[in-house]
Amino acid sequence: MQPLLIDLSIAALALLVFVADLLMPSEEKRGLGHLASAGLVLILLLTFVLDMQGDAFGGAYVLDPLALWFKRVFLLAGALAALIALDPAEQAFARRQGEYYLLLLLSLLGMSILSSARELLLIVVSFELMSLPLYVLTAFTKSSKLSGEGALKFYLVGATSLAITLFGLSLVFGATGTTMLPEIAANAGAIRSPLLVLGVLTTLAGLAFKIGAVPFHMWVPDTYEGAATPFVGFLAVAPKAAGFALLVRLYLVAFAPLSVRFQPALLALCVLTLVVGNVLALTQTNIKRLLAYSGIAQIGYMMVGLLAQTGEGVGMLLFYLAAYLFTNVGAFAVVCAVGAASGSDDIRAYRGLSRRNPALALAMLVFLLSLGGIPFVAGFWAKMGIFIAAWHAGLHWLVLLGAGLAVVGVYYYLRIARSLYLDDPEEGAQPITIGAPLRLALIVCGTAVVLIGIWPRPWFDTALDAAKSFLH
Amino acid sequence: MNEIQFCLLLAVALFSIGIYGLLTRRNAIGILLSIELMANAVNINLVAFSRVHGGAAGQVFALFAIALTVAEVAIGLGLVILMARTRKSINVDEARDLHG
Repeated sequence: MQPLLIDLSIAALALLVFVADLLMPSEEKRGLGHLASAGLVLILLLTFVLDMQGDAFGGAYVLDPLALWFKRVFLLAGALAALIALDPAEQAFARRQGEYYLLLLLSLLGMSILSSARELLLIVVSFELMSLPLYVLTAFTKSSKLSGEGALKFYLVGATSLAITLFGLSLVFGATGTTMLPEIAANAGAIRSPLLVLGVLTTLAGLAFKIGAVPFHMWVPDTYEGAATPFVGFLAVAPKAAGFALLVRLYLVAFAPLSVRFQPALLALCVLTLVVGNVLALTQTNIKRLLAYSGIAQIGYMMVGLLAQTGEGVGMLLFYLAAYLFTNVGAFAVVCAVGAASGSDDIRAYRGLSRRNPALALAMLVFLLSLGGIPFVAGFWAKMGIFIAAWHAGLHWLVLLGAGLAVVGVYYYLRIARSLYLDDPEEGAQPITIGAPLRLALIVCGTAVVLIGIWPRPWFDTALDAAKSFLH
Repeated sequence: MNEIQFCLLLAVALFSIGIYGLLTRRNAIGILLSIELMANAVNINLVAFSRVHGGAAGQVFALFAIALTVAEVAIGLGLVILMARTRKSINVDEARDLHG
């Protein structure tokens, strides 16, 4: 029972929100957001207090330090997403707020189980539990044409990727005769069947869709642009992290004996993702699309950590995910505030933001610096760690390519940062006021980004510990 | 050709027809049907492999896969209805307000 405690608590919280939604009068539904957010923070604290590590269901489910790290990322992303959504949800869909938080929690539950799953069937079921609520949440602003279009594109790509992943996994099952990942890892080296290689590669293509790696990325910018902004911060972080949890468990553990076969494919995906993400971000004029392409580029950097195939690489990947969580959720929270005040996600709306709300401009500056990887904010150590791990693993040219493209990234992030402070606001622009929940989320994200930047040591150590305990 | 090879060929053929439909169909319902074909190719695979290896794992997997696909299609149809309401059309080529 112990190892399941976190997931059971998330499930209980989801049911609590569901029942409370039915019982509450519609004027008080805002309380559901508080309940969801506070509940997730409580569960997060629980993960630090109790020692729950172990496995369940004959090894199909495991709570190891790796799973624990991912669960904390998900819980934090969920709590922040619920907090950011409080005000916009009240305005856009006051009566349906309960459903919003319920779906968010259910998706979170799926991710949380996925990070612990060590059996193919459990992986597939939790993968779907994660994905299905996300499609609905993307389409949540029913009256908006864009929201529906973004959701349909997301859905069609997601459903296709599931079918492709399932096809790959069915071949893996066919070749190995088992659905348990530890058994697959033990047998994979001895099996000479082409079915296994085909299955491993097909599964990789399916998962590449999910994390938005190039050339399977087309849905990402459209979905981000169409979906409601408070939700995009969550969508940009949590499902990607879940995708990496699965990639680590499948490709660095279960299929590790076959690494010669899939390494070139993974490398090609990584290089394409780095190049295309960074280059296409240069021409964007909509902030959500720009962050979407920048997100694709970040996925590329994380894949570099995966390619290192060492404990150090995975540790740096975990560290990157934590830094990415605070930076991206924070950046989208700013986009949310500016979008609500000026009714536009165009980059021009950010001109002279420092004169409309200095604190908001400062927060955005911190997040942009972190995204660009400027020293002494979280993003710098994240990129640095990934590059050092890859260098140790002998991927020298990949590190040089990544560093070169990071410079391209700095250009498009600093272009916005400059316009925050040096340009004049558009005519008739009013000062921006933000509500207390959003302010709290921004303070948490901003402080974390700066703190990790100034004092990264404890984060590095925990991340490396979490990775070491399972990669040999 | 033994029966397992036949099953695998059938599954690959179904999967390929699904991908072809996915790429050529412009009607949202047609695309959903194509994805359904791909998902069912997986089920044939699973049941066939289950017969090779013995045990019930593959068959249980297939049953779960069927239930998951149904849940997924329910949401897909909801999104298609949403599109029909906001755009008066379910041709995916007409959904192109998002670009750049």
